[in-house]
Amino acid sequence: MTTAVPDTPAFDHEFETQDLMINMGPQHPSTHGVFRMVLTIDGELVTDVTPHIGYMHRGAEKLCETMDYRQGIGYMDRTEYLANFNAELSYVMAVEQLAELEAPERAQWVRMILCELNRLSSHFMFLGAFGTDVGVFGTAFTYAFREREFIQDLFEEVAGDRLMFAYFRAGGLAWEVPGNFEARVRETLELSRRGIKDLDGLMTQNEIFRARTEGVGHLSAEDALDWGASGPTLRASGVPMDIRKDEPYLFYDQVEFDVITGEHGDVFDRFQCRVNEMWQSIRIIEQCLERLEPGPIVPDRLPRMLRTPPGEVYCRTEAPRGEYGIYLVSKGGNRPHRLKIRSACLSNLQALRDMTIGGYVADAVVVLGSLDIVLCEVDR
Amino acid sequence: MTNGDADGLEGTIWPQVDACLAGITADPERGAQDLIVTIPKDEIIRGLRALKGNADLAFDYLRCLSGVDWEDEGIDIVYHLYSSTRKLNLTVKTRLPNEDLSVDTATTVWRAANWLERETAEMFGVRFEGHPDPRMLLLPDDMDDTFPLRKEHPLAEIEVLQGEGIAYGEGVQP
Amino acid sequence: MAVGPATGTTETTTAPPETRPDAAPLPLMPYSPPQEHPAELPRLTPVEATPGKALYKIVLPGVMQAPADLVIAACRKSSLWPMTFGLACCAIEMIATYMSHYDLDRFGIVPWPSPRQSDVMIVAGTVTKKMAPAVKLLYEQMPNPKWVISMGACATNGGPYTRYDRVLQGVDKIVPVDVYVPGCPPRPEALLDGFVALQEKIMEERGATGR
Repeated sequence: MTTAVPDTPAFDHEFETQDLMINMGPQHPSTHGVFRMVLTIDGELVTDVTPHIGYMHRGAEKLCETMDYRQGIGYMDRTEYLANFNAELSYVMAVEQLAELEAPERAQWVRMILCELNRLSSHFMFLGAFGTDVGVFGTAFTYAFREREFIQDLFEEVAGDRLMFAYFRAGGLAWEVPGNFEARVRETLELSRRGIKDLDGLMTQNEIFRARTEGVGHLSAEDALDWGASGPTLRASGVPMDIRKDEPYLFYDQVEFDVITGEHGDVFDRFQCRVNEMWQSIRIIEQCLERLEPGPIVPDRLPRMLRTPPGEVYCRTEAPRGEYGIYLVSKGGNRPHRLKIRSACLSNLQALRDMTIGGYVADAVVVLGSLDIVLCEVDR
Repeated sequence: MTNGDADGLEGTIWPQVDACLAGITADPERGAQDLIVTIPKDEIIRGLRALKGNADLAFDYLRCLSGVDWEDEGIDIVYHLYSSTRKLNLTVKTRLPNEDLSVDTATTVWRAANWLERETAEMFGVRFEGHPDPRMLLLPDDMDDTFPLRKEHPLAEIEVLQGEGIAYGEGVQP
Repeated sequence: MAVGPATGTTETTTAPPETRPDAAPLPLMPYSPPQEHPAELPRLTPVEATPGKALYKIVLPGVMQAPADLVIAACRKSSLWPMTFGLACCAIEMIATYMSHYDLDRFGIVPWPSPRQSDVMIVAGTVTKKMAPAVKLLYEQMPNPKWVISMGACATNGGPYTRYDRVLQGVDKIVPVDVYVPGCPPRPEALLDGFVALQEKIMEERGATGR
């Protein structure tokens, strides 16, 4: 992308500006954690961006290689802490493929319900945080967290913890869901529907919000693919790439849903993609609830200490932020030889340069917010 | 067929890949999900570029780039490729010997390799020749002497801060 | 005769309060935990509560006399402004505590995005060695008096990541910590409890003007 600094020769001598470097972060309320970027600006226009990451690099991959397969689940939770169930799912599916286990049908439906609910809760978090980035401190956040807490309560009833669930296990689930699970999910969905409507009306219909987001941070489809972007960031650019559709895992091939794509690849499209994805998630959960039947949640023969034969597997799932992949290499035994977490945010964040350069400095924050990064996942 | 034999590779995309990689040494293997192709490190970038440019395969998306430390046998660099139009997956590997831990950069093929290579470089001590921005990515700048994801890199000791004043029973180690 | 604040002020300056013994610490009557909950007693009560001795006295109807440091401490503890500074997973629980369900505002605790106007730093998450200089700088940028809450296992001692050598084993290696909140991550109630403990601590060390 070329820098769109306006060239006005008539004023060259009078308005000769010096490039100014602005440091943003690592402590900055809009950086979603500890992210630092150095903006070089010419007047109001951004001419260069240097992102600095790694402030949250804490070696989850290394530590997972020293622990057995079950202990690794906890690190997945802490790596992707807004979509814990999706992260756990990638990991346990990788272990299952390596150990040639298969989760029973009921366990897979429950996994699907929880993953989609987690997508809802993660996107609620995005809506709130994005509202703050655009400039409505508090309002959107308060609404979004009200809805998020209802989902969080349900997760707590299921998994026993508010944030770090460690509920999916290789082979199935840790324990059976509560008896009133289905009723509670339906109740939560009702509340979520109301919440999405509220937030959608609050933000999408807002003229100031539209002015701030439309046409800002453009990312073309070719650039997005070349940078390795995934998830809503890629789909907003018009590439209908969704692992749930392309390489269905769990029972995603048995439910109906649409892949949401945008047209322009700007910030507003990314926002709208997520909002529409939430409606699709609700649609998926409703179909799952109809298919949910009693049955076992772990296979009949599940070893106490899981051992895998030598081999390697790259297991990818569609997390709320994009492709969350686990590359697992085993030399045999009860612990991985190498575990690589493919972070969606890391690849999405690489494209930040393309989106920011040439825009206004005030839009840099909006563009960063639209990527919905989780810094722990970026740095691992 | 120019490379290897196709035993046990029925139903995979090996014929297309083989045709695409004509003139390049490639060793196929059936993985748990995808086809795994091992290419020597001198030819890896040529191979990757051919895989991306091929009309049938069109691997235009680099999913993941990582390293695997095999201790005495060297370090593997693993590329996970995906074709967004053909919906195909491929894993490409190359083995770097311990004496010469360097490989050409893949940023000339996909820009997505940029940060992934920087991360692999600092974690394994691999040099990516021709990388446009060879700075540290995740680690602090003053910690470039050890490579955390190598197997020989030890874990940190846990500091016991509250052990001094605590009385333990006979024969019980704190 | 009109009763006004002036009378009280004169009396304060002329006659020092008699209830204050020379070297003994002031009793902490209104802030001592209730006696019927012995499980909560050992936490933050280094000062013995002596019944019958209040910290303030009613000089005249409508006029109250209290030591200035007590009043200052009460003011400080009632409007703590924490810096919005989330590091890792604990930040999500910290935000949840600020938001509508748990509502920290009712304690007078309002998040503030700048260190220059903040009183409390909540270290919510793992402090890595790359981040440590920034955390220390932020702490130094805060004006006195200032307090630090170490939220969660990672900030306290490295938590699950303590064995990775790029992780600092506890934020107390670089800044002094006042309250440690356990949990991974702590529930919002635990953070609320940490704030209440910090308020009690501020009342106890009320003579201090900060480090």
